[in-house]
Amino acid sequence: MQVTLKILRYNPEKDARPHWESYRLEAEPMDRVLDLLHQVKWEKDGTLAFRKSCGHGICGSDAMMINGVNRLACKTLVKDLGTDVITVEPIRGLPVEKDLVVDMEPFFEAYRAVKPWLINDEPPPERERLQSPEERAVFDEGTKCILCAACTTSCPVFWVNGTYLGPSAIVQAHRFIFDSRDKGAHERFPALGSTGGVWRCRTAYNCTEACPREIPVTQLIEEVKRAIMFGQM
Amino acid sequence: MYRGREGQWAFYLHRISGIAIILFLALHVTEISSSMFGPKWFNALLKFEENPIFGLGLVAVAALVLYHALNGLRIILMDFTSWGVRLQRQLWYAVWVVYVVLGFPMLFIMLRHVFVGGE
Repeated sequence: MQVTLKILRYNPEKDARPHWESYRLEAEPMDRVLDLLHQVKWEKDGTLAFRKSCGHGICGSDAMMINGVNRLACKTLVKDLGTDVITVEPIRGLPVEKDLVVDMEPFFEAYRAVKPWLINDEPPPERERLQSPEERAVFDEGTKCILCAACTTSCPVFWVNGTYLGPSAIVQAHRFIFDSRDKGAHERFPALGSTGGVWRCRTAYNCTEACPREIPVTQLIEEVKRAIMFGQM
Repeated sequence: MYRGREGQWAFYLHRISGIAIILFLALHVTEISSSMFGPKWFNALLKFEENPIFGLGLVAVAALVLYHALNGLRIILMDFTSWGVRLQRQLWYAVWVVYVVLGFPMLFIMLRHVFVGGE
């Protein structure tokens, strides 16, 4: 089948602002959008810039806005889009470096702000820190995150706010706050409870819809809100 | 435009209606406080506001208040229960069902007041 791939291109050395460019391509229904981008880069225009690494939905490099919704290019099949006109834009709310490549630093800055590592000052036990399957299940969803930024850059508050940590960082915080082995909630709550923290979430659910790992993002954010509000930790 | 689903539109509409309500409140307070300048000015202002344009504006504000109130209940359920987030989409449709049920009699009463007048 023939498809039209419209890409929002931007070259900081030449262009004043991003512009659309269209490519007519021969595609199979089972092709991924990533395959189409490769086809453009390898056969039509080698200057096209985008990020990809594993190509199998694990590394989280190729989140982009495809037909108006954030998705991973490597997990989006042409047939599932239900149209032969495919638009691809960089994810929103982060500075565009070139074409589909954005500066992820603000995203990772928010990630570091919630201290996404085990905090526990107690002397380590002789063997591992034991945890029951029930205790493990409480934070299971958050462990699936691949830090692709599809959620954070789908959030209307993140686009305009400038200080909001974003859904992804809160999901990462949830993963440790609700871990029975972790004692660092009081170290994370200042960032999470500040003006750029969880209270900026207005439950628009774009994050939950966008997550390629099907993490119930809004649910986890609401749980962190309640944990802070009721001092559960 | 990002192609978000129900939750995104619920949020946008909530924000827009909230801003509209604040603007109305500012206008309303200004109107009432004009009585400080004596009955002449206050009555003149009230007379001016008998124009159906203001009546229709009031209908619009009432429509936004009703949405803001009902979606506010939806947000409370999402914030304070473990199941609200899971059912957010259904809750949003429930908001619109209640909106129509409460809104139609309201619309009828208000429009009659604007165009026919009386109690």
